[in-house]
Amino acid sequence: MNDHRPATVRASQRGRGARMASLLAAAREGSEDALGQIVSEVSPLLWQVARAAGLSSGDAEDVLQTTWMRLVAHLGDIHDSTALTGWLVTTAKREAWRVRAEERRQLPADQDSFAELPDQGPGSEEQVIMDDQRRTLWEAIGQLSARCQELLRIIAFTSRPDYAAVAAALGMPVGSIGPTRGRCLAKLRVLLAGQPGGLR
Amino acid sequence: MTPPGSGPLPSADEPLDDVDFGLLDDIRDLFQDADPMPADLPERIRFRLALRDLEVEVARLAEEEQLAVAARGTEQSRTITFDSESLTIMIRIDANEDGTARVDGWLAPPQRREIEMKTVADPLTTASDEQGRFAFARVPRGTAQLIVRPTVIGPGAAGRSVVTPALIL
Repeated sequence: MNDHRPATVRASQRGRGARMASLLAAAREGSEDALGQIVSEVSPLLWQVARAAGLSSGDAEDVLQTTWMRLVAHLGDIHDSTALTGWLVTTAKREAWRVRAEERRQLPADQDSFAELPDQGPGSEEQVIMDDQRRTLWEAIGQLSARCQELLRIIAFTSRPDYAAVAAALGMPVGSIGPTRGRCLAKLRVLLAGQPGGLR
Repeated sequence: MTPPGSGPLPSADEPLDDVDFGLLDDIRDLFQDADPMPADLPERIRFRLALRDLEVEVARLAEEEQLAVAARGTEQSRTITFDSESLTIMIRIDANEDGTARVDGWLAPPQRREIEMKTVADPLTTASDEQGRFAFARVPRGTAQLIVRPTVIGPGAAGRSVVTPALIL
């Protein structure tokens, strides 16, 4: 892990930006197919946004459905593909909060139903078989604050051209020449540096 | 900022470097394995978006049950209940021998309605009887969706269409 990414990866990321821009233009003209391709492209990111907010799978699906329905109603207001991703993340996050708040309100005060909800962190999902390096990373993530875990999880599913927009949508500081490493990644690197077999 | 005596530590204010990009890729892989999005979710979302221009009430999945049917060996039948403001729709899905599905449905309160089943192929249509019963003898497997419309003629023709979320037959 942590190998040097070849330049072609970066180039394909730029290619994705251009592709999303043309899909957005086509969707605004009414192309169902283009809209469908955007749905396929961005839904995995929105899934992580909803699940990182602590929603059950069923509620996360509802949040995605609602988010995409809202997008269709607002397609005319969104002019570039970078703004599109930021808008979708913001909308999904707000909708996830709303669903969370509603669930809390409906729970009887003495009932502990949060057992069903996924952990904020990865700690409870270790049925995944991992090699040592992955386990080291997993455990280091688990030591971060809930806020940092949520943030890194979402940013990890964000395409590079969209980092700045998504970081802004999540309330992360963005440097003047693009996204900075930020507190959460810096902390993660410090944690990994202290691990035998951790970060090189 | 490097605290004195502790060696160079990555600063929060620096631009992202290759180590950061590598870490983010690894984090993505971890969550991709631990909590993947259901693979058919984008398809179900597209299905729902395609219906957005209809004046409809959207039913919610209320209950789903697998019933083992001993007489048919390994075949199972499922019952699914959808609730909307005005209507409860219950369907039972059985396997046909030719690989298609049979869908029997009941509306509550019982009423005559036009029933459409959107499928991966052409949509199918039928109508419910006075007891609210309807049936589709052969439905292709895959994504499907029910639309319950007001009857076009006769008394009580008012009422909105009700659509279910997409379901997998």
